Amino acid sequence: MENQEDRETEDVGGPESEPGPVTTRIRARFGDASVSTGNAVGCESVIAERDALLPFMTFLRDDPELSFGYLVDVTAVDRLPLDQEIRFAVVYQLYSYKHNRRFSVSVPVPEADPRIGSVVSVWPGANWLEREVYDMYGIVFEGHPDLRRILMPDDFGSYPLRKDYPLHGKGERDNFVF
Amino acid sequence: MGLEDQLQENVMTTKVDEMVGWARKNSLWPMPFGTACCAIELMATLASRFDLARFGAEAIRFSPRQSDLLIVSGRVSIKMMPVLKKIYDQMPEPKWVISMGACASSGGVFNTYTLVQGVDQYIPVDVYIPGCPPRPENVIQALMKIQEKVAQAKAN
Repeated sequence: MENQEDRETEDVGGPESEPGPVTTRIRARFGDASVSTGNAVGCESVIAERDALLPFMTFLRDDPELSFGYLVDVTAVDRLPLDQEIRFAVVYQLYSYKHNRRFSVSVPVPEADPRIGSVVSVWPGANWLEREVYDMYGIVFEGHPDLRRILMPDDFGSYPLRKDYPLHGKGERDNFVF
Repeated sequence: MGLEDQLQENVMTTKVDEMVGWARKNSLWPMPFGTACCAIELMATLASRFDLARFGAEAIRFSPRQSDLLIVSGRVSIKMMPVLKKIYDQMPEPKWVISMGACASSGGVFNTYTLVQGVDQYIPVDVYIPGCPPRPENVIQALMKIQEKVAQAKAN
């Protein structure tokens, strides 16, 4: 019960709330303007720029006060039709064994230019995760060592998790040849 | 002084088709194609409680070249369908196919972009089993239906 009360009084606010330890550390390194951060339900998050992604991610991994050595997941969000301009966001879930802490990085990606740098050089485990995002959303990860589809057949023409893709497909399941 | 008198009750006369059919139906060698939860029920059917060995079908072969009964148990995606077709093609004649469960038979609840809506669009199916997943009793009944069909087949 004591825990529950703790949780209720815990800060669950949005970006307005007090910055957490990770946010503080990032601001000390990159400056206030570089990132906008959030702190929801006890998990800090950041919206990062895709142009400087690799140095930023390397910092998250190597900084001794952060030590996010484990890339839990890479996924993407399709904001259609809420945000036509910057339609996608690639989301990285991180975990630090050293500090027992989770962190979330969201990187906006516009539809007209769906590219983002690969983080395989930072976390080798990103390899298949990025392939899945490429397969499902069509976001190209530049610098990826082997960017092929991972779930769908190689000749599958569409990106099925995009919001404008119909649930029953575009006839692929009836018209495939083998 | 016919041959029957000499051999007495040591011989039985029948037709070749019936004899071969009887032998085949009691020695089916299933090839399991398990891609989902139906395969778990299939395993239960084979295990001691339900014991498919009672019907002579306990020799599960994971090589299609040694099998004469294909049991498709589970979802088949458009990426998996070529694999299933290849396995079916590799099985020697005569061969039979059971489509086990809603997904293999019709796509089931997965009416989505990537799932084949019934494997019978691409390979011939002899017996369909309804259920999601079907209980082992259903599988046993399907095997008995297959046995009826096998017994009626021509020898060559």
